[in-house]
Amino acid sequence: MRAYRALLRKDLLLELRGRELVPAMLAFALGALLLVRFGLGGATQAGGTRAATGLLWVVVVFTSMLALVRSFAQEREHGIWDGILSAPIDRAAIWAARSTATLAFLIVTQAIALPLFWLFFLQDGNPPSLGVLVAALLLADLGVAMLGSLLAGLASQVHAREVLLPVLFLPFAVPLVTVAVRVSVGTISPQTGGSATLEGLGFLALYDTIFGLLGWALFEYVVED
Amino acid sequence: MCSAEAVPVVACRQLVRRFGERRALDGVDLDVAAGETLVLTGGNGAGKTTLLRVLATVLRPHGGAVSVAGHDLPRHARAARPSIGYVGHEPLVYPSLTALENLQLYGELHAVQPGRCHEALAMVGLERRGNDRPADLSRGMRQRLALARAWLHRPALLLLDEPTAGLDADGREVLRAMLDQHAGAAVVATHEPDWFAGGRELRLTLGRVAG
Repeated sequence: MRAYRALLRKDLLLELRGRELVPAMLAFALGALLLVRFGLGGATQAGGTRAATGLLWVVVVFTSMLALVRSFAQEREHGIWDGILSAPIDRAAIWAARSTATLAFLIVTQAIALPLFWLFFLQDGNPPSLGVLVAALLLADLGVAMLGSLLAGLASQVHAREVLLPVLFLPFAVPLVTVAVRVSVGTISPQTGGSATLEGLGFLALYDTIFGLLGWALFEYVVED
Repeated sequence: MCSAEAVPVVACRQLVRRFGERRALDGVDLDVAAGETLVLTGGNGAGKTTLLRVLATVLRPHGGAVSVAGHDLPRHARAARPSIGYVGHEPLVYPSLTALENLQLYGELHAVQPGRCHEALAMVGLERRGNDRPADLSRGMRQRLALARAWLHRPALLLLDEPTAGLDADGREVLRAMLDQHAGAAVVATHEPDWFAGGRELRLTLGRVAG
């Protein structure tokens, strides 16, 4: 826990000082929402709240990619891996701290982007359940942060990492996003039962558990040269 | 050489480390006893940095046997790490954190008392620069910070990769004082072996011990 706390504090402090990730993630999320809202305008409205809710998840995935591609960038660019890896700590603490920091960045970004999404796209028609949408977002963010930090650690050790990370991440993220979209869109439809929603949220929690365990167990090996 | 009954701080037997097909270390044998300084020399690409990174548990050995502080690598690398202080080519510090914050981070990772960070800064003559970021320090000061980071937890084994690089006369005095205070073993890779005249020199050529 000592190493986890120290590394998490460091990750948050670096972002606070550098303001590298969250502003870029926000700019992308808001830019994508504005582009679709004013660029496609009527076409989006015609798609209804279902299409808009699906759009939200596309934005979530690509915003996450921005955070993940820069994950471990300082360790890589300044050769700091050698210092961190030679410290007498459980290397899973590095992954856990980075996952927590990424989760925090995603939550901050979405706390600003979600109300705008609601304002732009969900003023007319039957909106999805806010509670379910937030629960799905939190569970999906956790999965993205844990899986993404594991894969970012792996990609940080190789060349062409900026290309490799999306190639690795997106296929693994497909089930997560598919279920998250189904859960959030499902709450719009009056005939969709609460059990389907619970089942979907249960799947997201299971996904988080699996990638949490994998990240904890495998990070030691993915950062091993 | 260490005496027959003493356990060497570092022991390598037929150590091999490859990068792709190339053998950066090709059957290296060496022992370093407690209190001994081993001075690694050799041209560029001789394997000095690779050897130090294997001993620092950052790179896995691909063949042979290696132990540090009595712990076999890589199997018991985590047990060996508290005994290791490593200075690499880079200072291994975060540019956005201050000098003191960097030492505090490493101090927490090594579970040292918070006061040690100030002591370490003072030892390398940076007590007034603790709130500066590495980018605001000169090359030599960043090297001093790297020395402070490696010395923070009083390791039994110092691994120093070209530690005199960038150091002015005062910086070299700092390094000299640190090595004088260091009761454990040290392995130093350098192109200035005369500066470490008290140590035992070992020359590497193309990943092998020369001679």
